[in-house]
Amino acid sequence: MTTVSESPTDAGTGQRQMLLDPGMDLTLRPMRYPRFFDRFKDAIKNTWTVEEVDLHSDLADLAKLSPAEQHLVSRLVAFFATGDTIVANNLVLNLYQHVNSPEGRLYLSRQLFEEAVHVQFYLNLLDTYVPDERKRFEAFAAVENIPSIARKAEFCFKWIDSIFELRELRTRADRRAFLLNLICFAACIEGLFFYGAFAYVYFLRSRGVLHGLASGTNWVFRDESMHMAFAFDVVDTVRAEEPELFDAELEQQVRDMLAEAVECEVQFAADLLEQGVSGLPLADMREYLRHVADRRLAMLGIEPMYGAQNPFAFMELQDVQELSNFFERRVSAYQVGVTGSVSFDDDF
Amino acid sequence: MTVTQEQAAPEQRRHVMQVRKRDGDTEPVDVNKIVKAVERWVADLDEVDPLRVATKTISGLYDGATTAELDKLSIQTAAELIGTEPQYSKLAARLLAAYVDKEVRGQQVASFSQSIRYAHGLGLIGDDTAAFVARHARKLDDAVDPDGDLRFEYFGLRTVADRYLLRHPQTRLVVETPQYWLLRVACGLSRTPAEAIGFYRLMSSLAYLPSSPTLFNSGTRHTQMSSCFLVDSPRDELDSIYERYHQVAKLSKFSGGIGISWSRVRGRGALIRGTNGRSNGIVPFLKTLDAGVAAVNQGGRRKGAACVYLEPWHPDVEEFLELRDNTGEESRRTHNLNLANWIPDEFMRRVEADGDWSLIDPSDAPELPDLFGEAFDEAYRAAEKKAVRTVRARDLYGRMMRTLAQTGNGWMTFKDAANRLSNQTGAPGNTIHLSNLCTEILEVNNDAETAVCNLGSVNLGAHVTADGVDWEKLRATVRTAVVFLDRVIDINYYPAEQAAASNPRWRPVGLGLMGLQDAFFTLRLPFDSAQARELSTRVQEEILLTALETSAGLAARFGPHPAYAETRAAQGRLHPDLWGVEPTQVRRWADLRAAVATHGLRNSLLVAIAPTATIASIAGCYECIEPQVSNLFKRETMSGEFLQVNTYLVGELKARGLWTAPIREQIKRAEGSVQGITELPADVRELFRTAWELPQRALIDLAAARAPYIDQSQSLNLFLSAPTIGKLSSMYRYAWKSGLKTTYYLRSRPATRIQQATVALAPAVTPLVTVADDEALACSLENPESCEACQ
Repeated sequence: MTTVSESPTDAGTGQRQMLLDPGMDLTLRPMRYPRFFDRFKDAIKNTWTVEEVDLHSDLADLAKLSPAEQHLVSRLVAFFATGDTIVANNLVLNLYQHVNSPEGRLYLSRQLFEEAVHVQFYLNLLDTYVPDERKRFEAFAAVENIPSIARKAEFCFKWIDSIFELRELRTRADRRAFLLNLICFAACIEGLFFYGAFAYVYFLRSRGVLHGLASGTNWVFRDESMHMAFAFDVVDTVRAEEPELFDAELEQQVRDMLAEAVECEVQFAADLLEQGVSGLPLADMREYLRHVADRRLAMLGIEPMYGAQNPFAFMELQDVQELSNFFERRVSAYQVGVTGSVSFDDDF
Repeated sequence: MTVTQEQAAPEQRRHVMQVRKRDGDTEPVDVNKIVKAVERWVADLDEVDPLRVATKTISGLYDGATTAELDKLSIQTAAELIGTEPQYSKLAARLLAAYVDKEVRGQQVASFSQSIRYAHGLGLIGDDTAAFVARHARKLDDAVDPDGDLRFEYFGLRTVADRYLLRHPQTRLVVETPQYWLLRVACGLSRTPAEAIGFYRLMSSLAYLPSSPTLFNSGTRHTQMSSCFLVDSPRDELDSIYERYHQVAKLSKFSGGIGISWSRVRGRGALIRGTNGRSNGIVPFLKTLDAGVAAVNQGGRRKGAACVYLEPWHPDVEEFLELRDNTGEESRRTHNLNLANWIPDEFMRRVEADGDWSLIDPSDAPELPDLFGEAFDEAYRAAEKKAVRTVRARDLYGRMMRTLAQTGNGWMTFKDAANRLSNQTGAPGNTIHLSNLCTEILEVNNDAETAVCNLGSVNLGAHVTADGVDWEKLRATVRTAVVFLDRVIDINYYPAEQAAASNPRWRPVGLGLMGLQDAFFTLRLPFDSAQARELSTRVQEEILLTALETSAGLAARFGPHPAYAETRAAQGRLHPDLWGVEPTQVRRWADLRAAVATHGLRNSLLVAIAPTATIASIAGCYECIEPQVSNLFKRETMSGEFLQVNTYLVGELKARGLWTAPIREQIKRAEGSVQGITELPADVRELFRTAWELPQRALIDLAAARAPYIDQSQSLNLFLSAPTIGKLSSMYRYAWKSGLKTTYYLRSRPATRIQQATVALAPAVTPLVTVADDEALACSLENPESCEACQ
C-alpha cells in the first residue's frame, strides 16, 4: 500500500501546498496523491447497477416473517430511504469543496455516483416492498415522522450544518471543524449507522430470507467500505501534513461524537427490536455497535472506549469469501475494467 | 449438573423467561432441558459443549417466544459455532433432523409407508410408487436406517430440509424425514424391494447421489428426473423461434437446465425476403428468451436457467458477448441467460496465426452449424466470400476473454473436439451442436430431437481411506449407479415431445464424480502433483470401464439402444480409442470389447462430470473435480448463508496445537489462505493451497489426462484472482491445445472487498503473506485493492 506522499512545494510560490488549502487545484500531473487515484480506479471496477439485483423472492419472504420481524424490516427500509441521500448531500455541500486535490475530487465524484445508485436501489426496494402508496409515502417521510429515525437524522444535520457556512478552510479552527465533519460521516454515519443497518440485513440473510435486499446491500456495503477507507485516507493525509491539528481536544471531540452516534443507533435498535426478535437481542446489538465504534477509533489511532467484542456470528460470515451457485443467486464477485492484450505466453 | 435459568443469566432473575409450547401452554425456559436435548446427540462429538449451546440459545431468546423458535435458535446457535469447531456442524444437523422428525410425527406419520400413504393422499406421490410401497410396507419400513441422519453435515441437511423434502400443499409442513426421502427416491426407480433397499443404502451412505431432478421428483406424480436438455438452434424463421420459447418454458418448469443454440438465426441487417425488410438480429429474440426463462420458476424451488450457444462466425457475435454487461442499453442485455461460445478449431488456428476471421450470415451458409472438422473448414472457407464483415481473429478472441473476465460467462467450448471424440457421431448427419447449461453434456440433437441427460455422481471421498482407493467398492457403486441412471430413461416424464423423441433412441446417461479434493486431502496429495494426476486418471478409467461393462451387461438383457448402429462403438471403437490412449486395465478392456461386439451397449454415452453444486453439499464433500476454493468460506444459497471450514485442515492444525483463535483470525484475514501460517511446514501449506493459489495449468492438465475416460465432458471451472486479457488468452489457448472439449466458468474475485467487520485491524499494513516467487499470488490474495502488477 502506498503511504501518504510528501507534500511538494508549489512550483509557483515556493509555499508548501496542502490538501485542505483553499482552492480548486486542476493539475493531475505530477500527481500529489496517487492513492486517491488508485481508489478511484478500484471503485470503477466495482460498478453494479440496480437492475442486477433480483428482488423476486423477497415479497414471498416478507409475507412469511413474524410481525416483529416485519416491523424490523419496515423501520430498516425507512432508514435506508433517506440515509444515502444525506451522505450525498454532505459530499456535495462540504467534502467536495474542501478536499483540494483533483484526484481526490475524482474519487468523490465516483462516490457521488455510487450514493446515487444506492438511493436508486433503496427507492426500487421500497417501491417493491411497500405496494400501498400511502404507506410508501410514509416510509419516505420517515425522517419526519418516525422518532428513532428523526433522531439519527438530526445528528447528521447537526454535523452537515456545522461547516455549511465555511467557504474556505483558512484557520486551524476551520480545519478542525472540517475534520470533525469528515470523521462524522466516515466513522459515525457510514461507519456506524450503516454498519448497524447492515447487521440487520445480514441477520435476516443468515436466516435465509430477503436475498434481494441482502445481495443489493452486499454491494452497497462493499461501496461504503471504500467510502470509509477513502475518508480515512484523507484524515491520514491531513494528519501527515498538519500533525498539529490532531491533539487531545480533537480526540475527545471524536470520542464524544461517536458516543452520541452509538446512543442514536441504540435507540434506533430499541425501536426495531421492540417486539422481540429471536436471535437478535438488544443487548447484543448494543455490544455490536460498541465494537464497531471501537474499531472506528482504532482506525483513527484513538484508544477504544468500550472494549467490546462482536457478539454476532452471522457478521463473521461477511468476512469470508463467498461462493454462490448460479442456480441460486447471482455471483457478486466479477470485475469491470479488465486490461491487457491477447498473448500466448503469460503465466496462469 | 443443574444450572438454572437464574444462574445462567442473573440480570433476568426478577422475571423468569417464558416460552410458549406447541400446545399453547407456557412454561419457564429451562437451561437443563436444552442441555439434555443437545446431549442426546453428542456421543461421538468430543469437542462439543452442550452448555455453551444452551446458554447462548437462551441469551438470544425473548420473553414469550415459542418452543419452535427456541428449537430453531438452538440449531442456529450450534451452526454459528462451526467456524470455531467444525463438530458443531454435525450437532446442528442432528438438532435439525430432530426438528424435522417432530414436524413429520406431528402429522401422525410414524413410518416410511405411512409417510408415502399420507403424501399420496395429498396428491404428491405417484400411484405406482404408492402401490409398490403399500405392497412391501413391512420390508421397506424395516430398511430405514435410524442412524442415517447422523452422517449429514449441517449445510447438507439444511438444504435437504428446505428444498428436497416433500411438503404439505397447504400447511407447508414437511411430510417425510430425510431417510424417508431417500427411500422414496429409491422406490420410485425400483422393481423389487431388494433393489430399492440396495439403492437406498448406497444413497444413505452418501457414497453416491443422483442429481437434483431425480432427488426432487422420483416417486412423485411428475417424474421429470433429467438434469439437462440440449435444444438445437431454432430454424431461421419466426415459427421455429417461437416454438423454441414454448419448448424451453416446458423444459424449465420441471427443473431442467437448458442449453440452446442460436447459430442458425440470421444476424442484424440480413434481408427478410417475405417483407423485404432487414432483420434486427438475434439480440431482441434472446431478450425474449431471457424474460421467458426468468418467468418460469422450477416448481418454486429454484429459478429457471439456460445457456445460449453461438458459433463465432455469426455476424452478431460481438453483441452476443455484451449480453451480460451491466452497462449499456438494457433492451440489449439478458441478465438471466448464460452465454457460451461454440468454437471451431479453424477460429483458434486463425487466432494463433493472427489471421482474419470472416463473419458470415447463417442465411448465406445454412450448412455451417451441421458441419465439423475438415468438412466445416472447407465450407467455412468457401463461404468467406459471402462474408458480412471481416475482423481480426485476435480482436474477437480478446473480446471473448474480456467477457469472461467481466462476467465469468461466455464459456469456451470446442466444437471440433466435441464431435470428433464422441461415440454418437459415428454416422454422417449426426452432429453435436452445443453443450448444456454446465458444459459437461455433449450429445447430438436436431430440429426434431432435443437431447436429454440424467445424471448422478460418485462421492470419491467415500471410497478412499489413508491406505488408498477401495476399488472394489468403487466398482460396486458404479454398477448400481449405472443401472439406476439407465432406469430413469424409461420411467422419466418428458416435458417436450422433442425430448421424448431423442432419449429412448440414444439412452445417454452422465455418471460423474465429486469429492476428488477430499480424496487428495485424505491421501495427502497436492492438487498439482504427478500422483494426483495419475490417481484422478486411474479413477476415471475405472469408472468408464465399469460403466461400459455394466451397460454391455444391460444390452445383453434388454438389447442395445436403438441408435446403436450409428455409434462409433458399433464400429468397434470405444472412447479411449478415439483419443489414442493405452488404458492400463488391458485384460478387462479386451473382455469388454468382446462383450460389446456381441451385445452392443445399452447407452450411447455414460460418463459426464457435472458441477454437483447442490448434491456435493448434501454429501458433505468438495464439488466434482474441483480444488477447494478456500479453507474458510461462506456459501450463499436460498437457504441462507453458511460457513464452511476445511475439516482436513482443522484436523492438521489441531494435531499441531495450532487451531487457536489467532490462527483462525489469520486465516480469515487472508481470505481462507494458510500460506502465511509459517508454523505449518511447507509441504502442509502446499497441500492446503486453494484454487486461487494453484497453477491453473495443473487444473487443465488433470482434466486433459482424465478426458480419454470421459465420453461426454467435464464442467471445468478456472480461477484467476486478477484476470488480464494476456493471462486469459494464454490459458484458454492452452486448454484448447490440450484437447479439452469444454471449459466452464472463469472465477475471479472482486476488485475491492467489504471492510471486514469482525477481524481485528491488521497491524499497520504489513502484508500477511510474503510469497516471494509468485508476485501475482501475493498481490491478488493480500491486497487486491492496490496491486500494480496486473493493472
